[in-house]
Amino acid sequence: MQTEHRLEPRWLKPLLLGTTLLFLAIFLALPLGVVFSEALAKGWKVYWASITEPDAIAAIKLTLLVVLITVPLNTVFGVATAWLIAKFEFRGKGLLITLIDLPFAVSPVIAGLIFVLLFGSQGWFGAWLSEHDIRIVFATPGIILATLFITSPFVAREIIPLMQEQGKDEEESALTLGASGWQTFWKVTLPNIKWGLLYGVILSNARAMGEFGAVAVVSGHIRGMTTTMPLHVEILYGEYLFTAAFAVASLLTLLALVTLVLKSFIEWRIGKKRLLAH
Amino acid sequence: MSIQISNINKRFDNFVALDNINLTIPDGELVALLGPSGSGKTTLLRIIAGLEEADSGTIYFNGEDTTATHVRDRGVGFVFQHYALFRHMSVFENVAFGLRVRPKATRPSEEEINERVHKLLKLIQLDWIANRYPSQLSGGQRQRVALARALAVEPKVLLLDEPFGALDAKVRQELRQWLRSLHDEIHITSVFVTHDQEEALEVSDKIVVMNQGKIEQIGTPEEVYDRPTNPFVYSFLGNVNLFHARVEQGSLHLENTELNTPDLGSSKEASLFVRPHEIHISIDNALGGGIEAKLIGWRLVGPRVRVELETVHAHQKVEAEISKGEWQAIKAHENDTLFVHFSNARIYTNEASWNDYVI
Repeated sequence: MQTEHRLEPRWLKPLLLGTTLLFLAIFLALPLGVVFSEALAKGWKVYWASITEPDAIAAIKLTLLVVLITVPLNTVFGVATAWLIAKFEFRGKGLLITLIDLPFAVSPVIAGLIFVLLFGSQGWFGAWLSEHDIRIVFATPGIILATLFITSPFVAREIIPLMQEQGKDEEESALTLGASGWQTFWKVTLPNIKWGLLYGVILSNARAMGEFGAVAVVSGHIRGMTTTMPLHVEILYGEYLFTAAFAVASLLTLLALVTLVLKSFIEWRIGKKRLLAH
Repeated sequence: MSIQISNINKRFDNFVALDNINLTIPDGELVALLGPSGSGKTTLLRIIAGLEEADSGTIYFNGEDTTATHVRDRGVGFVFQHYALFRHMSVFENVAFGLRVRPKATRPSEEEINERVHKLLKLIQLDWIANRYPSQLSGGQRQRVALARALAVEPKVLLLDEPFGALDAKVRQELRQWLRSLHDEIHITSVFVTHDQEEALEVSDKIVVMNQGKIEQIGTPEEVYDRPTNPFVYSFLGNVNLFHARVEQGSLHLENTELNTPDLGSSKEASLFVRPHEIHISIDNALGGGIEAKLIGWRLVGPRVRVELETVHAHQKVEAEISKGEWQAIKAHENDTLFVHFSNARIYTNEASWNDYVI
């Protein structure tokens, strides 16, 4: 390090570091502390009661149901799309890649509104749906649809570059060696993308649990029926039940922390793989 | 297994990759598809493998139409330029893959797989790294593993797409010789694609020279090198000096010399192709008929000397490759006007080609 040539003034690095740390302290560490201290302000008993009261349980159950349905669906959709884009040539590929990103570009509230306009009682399919007694908006299907839309890009985004980088040589090899398309997918394609895929699934899962805007529009806020955890937090907060609100919020925060840990672990794994490959 | 390629056509949008290709590859031969990039050689190889579909035409294996047979049922071994080893599998598992994916009825037992994989690893002299992963191997080792993997399924045909293209010069040289001796041992019908003329000349039984989706010439290395049928083949198979000359009344005029060529007729443009090693340089034009030239530069290339000259009359650059001894004599003689002689030249006119002229 003695011979290192300095291109920047000496004070730049400490300054940047200081700014970053200060920013993180104000916008991350402080709120994190607040969430847990507020949640536990009235002791563990109240905390426990807040997260086990029937409406909270219902919100947690609904959130888990949404996650259990949307994450697997988006995983399948993501892998299929990524496979299509990475391994096949066709017209309009660029457009398709842009379309996959669309949910990122659209405001979640607009995304929610789209479903209300489509499936609401005044919507395009509203009359037909009520005729057949199918409820989508202000019910669980609407919440699932909105969450599906919002979280659909995560898996695909994560593995498209990975699959493109890997090319199709290994798949073609497997085929010439007599493997069927299915065998090729399970034995060659999937193992090659598994870490990227897991990363996408975790991000997708975190977003599915935490999604507020789109879900808020389609949910109808029926307590114990159509409120997910973020909506439940908002309702409690609106009713000045701060401790209860922060208690449920702390669960979501814990999820975020677990996600972060998993994410860094996977990044570390991918980094190691990359290193080995070169 | 013989391969017969009949009237194969392939386009990519407006680009004609293969233009009515007909080719027969006899059983047990090692054939090189040689050509510049974009000549269609890789496309042809992939069509033989079934990885690509021809727009029209037929492929026969041993006289049997296999055009519609799926790649997985064709029984070909394919070796890719960038190895395409399964990165998450050990060397052993890579080689075993083709056996493990077989349906239960034809899948060998675990002991049999073990035995066969080790036999193949011995064949490629890499038995000692069976448990390593592809990322831990050198390029040459990876390509040998890829070859063993392709051979594990006992293919009827071995297809190699620029197999040594990604390797450095020395390893490439070794692997070439190794592939040749391996082929002499197992005699499997093999087709390999290359853009390296030296590789094609050294390894193959037969060379198919391709250019712009067409076959320019088919022949043994000697035939293709010594009797190229057209200027493209001539210039593609090694360095070449090209001279433009005119034939008038039975003689060919080139710079300050004249050549008696009664067979060539009259009033024609002719191109003379001469390889650098077919050029001799004399100091005094003692034999007569030498083309006057000036020395421009020289470079030592291993045991030979590459000399650059420029002709006095037409200011044409000439590249000659001579021995160190010859070069010493020229260097000692300080006069920079020299005389260029051809020990062999090939003349192409629009109608015909002529060989073996000495100027």
